[in-house]
Amino acid sequence: MKRSRRFVSEVLSTLRDNIQRVGDPLGMKTVYWTEWAKGLDLPRNGHTILLTARMYQMLPYIIQVASLVASAKPFLSRGGLGAMVNLGNRFMGDQIIRLRALGSQNIKAKSRNALRGIVSALSAIGQTPAYLYENEPYSGVLLYDLGLDEYIDEHIKKVYRLLKSQNVKTVIGVDPHTVFMLKEIYPKYIDNYDMEVKHYLEILSENSEMLKKGCKQDLEKEFVIHDSCYMTRDLGLIEQIRRVSEGLGMTLREPENTKLDTACCGGPIEYAFRDLTEKISRSRMQELSKVSKNIVVECPICLINLRKYEKEMGIKVWDIGELLFRAL
Amino acid sequence: MDIKEQEVTKNTLLKEIAKCRACRFCVDACSLYQVTEGVESMAPYGRLQILKYLLNGMLDEDDPIIYSLYSCLQCGRCDRVCQAKGQDLEVSKLIRLGKYLLSQGLVKGKKSEKV
Repeated sequence: MKRSRRFVSEVLSTLRDNIQRVGDPLGMKTVYWTEWAKGLDLPRNGHTILLTARMYQMLPYIIQVASLVASAKPFLSRGGLGAMVNLGNRFMGDQIIRLRALGSQNIKAKSRNALRGIVSALSAIGQTPAYLYENEPYSGVLLYDLGLDEYIDEHIKKVYRLLKSQNVKTVIGVDPHTVFMLKEIYPKYIDNYDMEVKHYLEILSENSEMLKKGCKQDLEKEFVIHDSCYMTRDLGLIEQIRRVSEGLGMTLREPENTKLDTACCGGPIEYAFRDLTEKISRSRMQELSKVSKNIVVECPICLINLRKYEKEMGIKVWDIGELLFRAL
Repeated sequence: MDIKEQEVTKNTLLKEIAKCRACRFCVDACSLYQVTEGVESMAPYGRLQILKYLLNGMLDEDDPIIYSLYSCLQCGRCDRVCQAKGQDLEVSKLIRLGKYLLSQGLVKGKKSEKV
């Protein structure tokens, strides 16, 4: 609790600066979000696009940033250190984070497979959305979560202009946070907002029979489902993942807190309160592991928060995209 | 955010908080309240009270206040309980609005104004 004001102030200011400077919450100038699509030759233009909003690709870096931030926290009371951290982030942060993330190959592979699985599944039902590659924007969801509304306006308008300049009419999102932003928040800032926004699980569940035919490998394992807060309570997308999982031949079991009553993974506050996040994710994992040793999630933030306990609790956490990758 | 907008947001928040009937069902539903083993300021009802007194000028914006408000997960479980109990306050959205007001003094490079 000590130094919370100073710490939160540093985080908010850095986040605002990063987004204003390079449009990326991590402040990274290097294009780190296109590597997963290597060799897929996705079309670069089209009325319908797949918007990853860098969320899955960010995971290895989020882990490193969260650990760097946690180790810098005790020093923040010293005068001037906050400014030094901020400056360091501008000039060296990119390299440090990238180097440290080299050790996170496992999560990088999981993210890559999840995204490739989503593309394969959409292709199996006859959908080939375009991908904006290096032009792909970040949605700005962290600005919204942290109440930085003053800076959201500028970012949202920039993203919307970019999408319009690419003649985008329909956006297929891969994570609940981005879909929530584009569906619920963007229209509040843009007059005559006319973008159609869908989560990929909505599209797959509407075509589950066709998806079933495309499956080469049945996943007969039993899984327990961890619903995402945004997906259920904010977007009302509850049955979609269940229908898709059923189509893949999975047996889904429900934990104590599920669907509209799902419990949070703790991820939203990891940026500043790692100790609290760990208590929450551990508690949720204990609840889930009572039901099954295989956990399926539908959100990248839930994926990195719950998988911390894989070894300790002898469980495995899968993103539904990874399972699509295996099945197709 | 100019002073006028700040006043409007403050009044909206206070009006909404006043609708809370203090049934405290949201408290038990909060994951943070559960993991902190019953710290009232880490629960939705506690956070609303903190916001109320902060906006009324009875509390100062210090470390424990920031800790309480910024540790909210915005997961919306409290909203769900409030809806089920018939009051239908968007508790997590009110806390987020509180963060919006607080950010005026927290983000650097701005003319810091106390809430």
